[in-house]
Amino acid sequence: APLTTEFFLQGSVMENSLETLVNRLKGLCDNADYQQESFQDHEMVFHIKNTSVPTPLVFRVRHSLVQTECWSLRYLGHAEVGDKNRPTLVRSYIDCPTSENVAQFIGELGFRMDHEFVVKGFYFHKGRMKITVSKFYKMNQPGNTTNDTIETVCPSYLVELSVVTSSGQEAVGDDMKNFAEQLKPLVTLEKTDHRKIQLAQT
Amino acid sequence: MAAPYSQFSPSPTPVNVCVEAVLESQIQEVRVVEKPDAPDGHEIQEVYVPPLSMSENLTKLAQKIDFYKDESDEKGKPTSEGEKEEEEKTGAAFQPSLWPWDSVRTKLRTSLTEMSVLLDILNVSSSKEKRYMVLDPVQQNAPDPKLAVQLMSKRRALQSAASVLQSGAERLRKSHAEINNKNDFHLELLNVRQKWRLKKTGTSILGDLSYRSVGSRYMHNGVFEVVKSSDLTAEGEFLAQRGSLDVVVPTELEGGAYIQVEVKSVPGNCITDTMDLTGAILRVPSGIGPVRSETYWQQKLEKAQNVLFCKEIFAQLAREAVQSKASIPHLVVGNQIITNVFPGIQLSIVLCHSTGKEREKKLPQYKMDHNHVLEHSLHQLLRENHFKNINFPAPHPVTALVGLTKKRRLAGPNALSRKQLMDMSDSESMLDQIIKQTKHNVLRLRTMQTIDGIAATLSDPQLTVHWSCCNSSTEASCRVIITSQGYDLRVWHSFVIIIGVDSLKVIIKEGRVFFLSFEEKELQDFIMWQVSQHQISVSQNLARLMGWQIMSTSTAMGVSDLESSGTASSLILAAPNKERILAIKSGPSSGIKVFLQQSQKDNKNRVILPDDKWQSVGADYQQVDLSKFEGRNFASKLELLLATFSHDLSSSSS
Repeated sequence: APLTTEFFLQGSVMENSLETLVNRLKGLCDNADYQQESFQDHEMVFHIKNTSVPTPLVFRVRHSLVQTECWSLRYLGHAEVGDKNRPTLVRSYIDCPTSENVAQFIGELGFRMDHEFVVKGFYFHKGRMKITVSKFYKMNQPGNTTNDTIETVCPSYLVELSVVTSSGQEAVGDDMKNFAEQLKPLVTLEKTDHRKIQLAQT
Repeated sequence: MAAPYSQFSPSPTPVNVCVEAVLESQIQEVRVVEKPDAPDGHEIQEVYVPPLSMSENLTKLAQKIDFYKDESDEKGKPTSEGEKEEEEKTGAAFQPSLWPWDSVRTKLRTSLTEMSVLLDILNVSSSKEKRYMVLDPVQQNAPDPKLAVQLMSKRRALQSAASVLQSGAERLRKSHAEINNKNDFHLELLNVRQKWRLKKTGTSILGDLSYRSVGSRYMHNGVFEVVKSSDLTAEGEFLAQRGSLDVVVPTELEGGAYIQVEVKSVPGNCITDTMDLTGAILRVPSGIGPVRSETYWQQKLEKAQNVLFCKEIFAQLAREAVQSKASIPHLVVGNQIITNVFPGIQLSIVLCHSTGKEREKKLPQYKMDHNHVLEHSLHQLLRENHFKNINFPAPHPVTALVGLTKKRRLAGPNALSRKQLMDMSDSESMLDQIIKQTKHNVLRLRTMQTIDGIAATLSDPQLTVHWSCCNSSTEASCRVIITSQGYDLRVWHSFVIIIGVDSLKVIIKEGRVFFLSFEEKELQDFIMWQVSQHQISVSQNLARLMGWQIMSTSTAMGVSDLESSGTASSLILAAPNKERILAIKSGPSSGIKVFLQQSQKDNKNRVILPDDKWQSVGADYQQVDLSKFEGRNFASKLELLLATFSHDLSSSSS
């Protein structure tokens, strides 16, 4: 079955609790004796407006600043909160690795870049669950991702626990909930309603 | 009382004014009383409240007094004397008419006054100039030192302190002794928790001794239970060792186990089906012996974990052996896996598990030939499998799929073909890997033995072998150097052997590469061939040194008897004065032969042709008997020979 659904939970921590959280995650996740994995990604968000649909279609082009030949194109659906029984947020997730000219390609298709940002942080995994602790940076110069042209958006870190799997596998939500329980009260991973954030923006 | 005030009033008629005293007592009640002689038949009677007595009156007035009022306002302290009554009455009568905050106001005013005075005094006395007022400390008289009393008080204080400390120390000592003696269950449990993962479910404490958390996918869940040790002891032995905690491991993991890998040569001429099936019976290892049930928990748990690990290794190998589609079938019998690695060489992997409960049987003792290197390799291979199961490389970018390598992720964008993808996904089974390692092991040992055998028997050119220390479980290399003693710095011959899994790769001096199979004979022939080549090289070198000219050389002679392996090489030398020709032939099986061309001068009798020029025509070659020469090896003998002829001719010509 194609892997098109992402189950995820989000939370955040302040900068001064980062060390504690990372240590706790190191203990809980696989590869405890391995060196901590970190990542640096640069993501560009593209929009294309369709006259028949009010909201534009959003594609995300992401590439790693560490392994610069790895580019990917992603589509994320809207996060569904669902009913109370479901412990996680669910959204459709379509992702595919691409070659390096993908930005140019979708530009030719008619997409226009809306915004871009840099994400840096740490990566952990336990089984098929992926946990990332990331900090977002906004870019002062478009296209320039060197350290002196990016600045942090806010001092706290976003903690995300996600599993990408085929739709219908609800059992993974319980595993995620159990794992999230172990991180309390350091960080509360919960289902945040994205609509509320969007409403607050507009 | 009516009294006429006729003399004062201007009016003519006098007016009667009635003066009555105010009613002193209040009316309590008005009664209607039946009286027959009254006009209405009843009379109204008023009943008065009895007037207050003196003490009651005083009480009533005293209650009205506000005792919290400033005493200076009143004329005197309230006393219970009757004389003060009047004053109190007047004082009490005046109070309610005053403003209620007045007392507060006056109090604040007085306090303000006092504070100002104090502030002024402080300012004056503490000013820098100290002109008006100076504060001096008052000399207090030192109290009389009553030594006796001080001593007594100090002694008492020290005694109380000492008693407190002693009681604390006593308590600590008692608790320490208690801990050491008793082997408290909870303390032991703490120790167990430090080493093993425990979980309390219901009333029992369970632990996990499997390798699941590090990537194993074996079916066994490896659960053990921690219990308090029972009071009854079997056979009553060694109670002191046990402590108060015991672990119960699953029955199938009891005892001890190990994997035994044995490589042995099996006599037989057939290439296939030469498996020693007589060895495929259930063996009871003699090395383990019964495991004592009073083993302390850590050893017990470690042993059980080892049993689980060995079982997993064997289960995986057995599964692969059954599923593999190799040309030579593997045999799985009971706890043994048998397979042929080379014709005549058999690999057997046995899982030896003894639970310690079997009676000692008198079995014929098999000589267990452990190959510890391969056993260790098996353990390592399983651990590698575990590692690969849970250690995925981190995805970059982080939103990519977990579990793929970078190459696999880039397979799409780089448009890899199906064949390339299949190659990427191919991975070797554990059985294949261990068979490869075994093969390499066998081959390496064989090569070593072959070279050492030749080196031991061959004395003329000497063989030296240098084994490289950088090698892996499937590849090793060595360099063989052939030298002649006494001439080792002048010329040497070397070649490199790279030992792979089932073939050898040899690179000789000129850069040519040969691939040899695992047969020993091939290597032997090769070495002998190289030896023969070396002899020729030495001869060439010596010839150049002595001034002899090399007429021709050939590494692969097409004439003379066929060598059993390889080719012979030859060298034809001409003396410095061109009078003599020497021919040297060196072959791997024929050895080295030196032939000297006779010249006509030797046969002085037979002078048929008078012309001198015919003297130079060469005659037959005669073999030189090198054994009659003095010299340690061929090179020195040849040197002597060359020297002889150079000298001989020069002396004879002169």
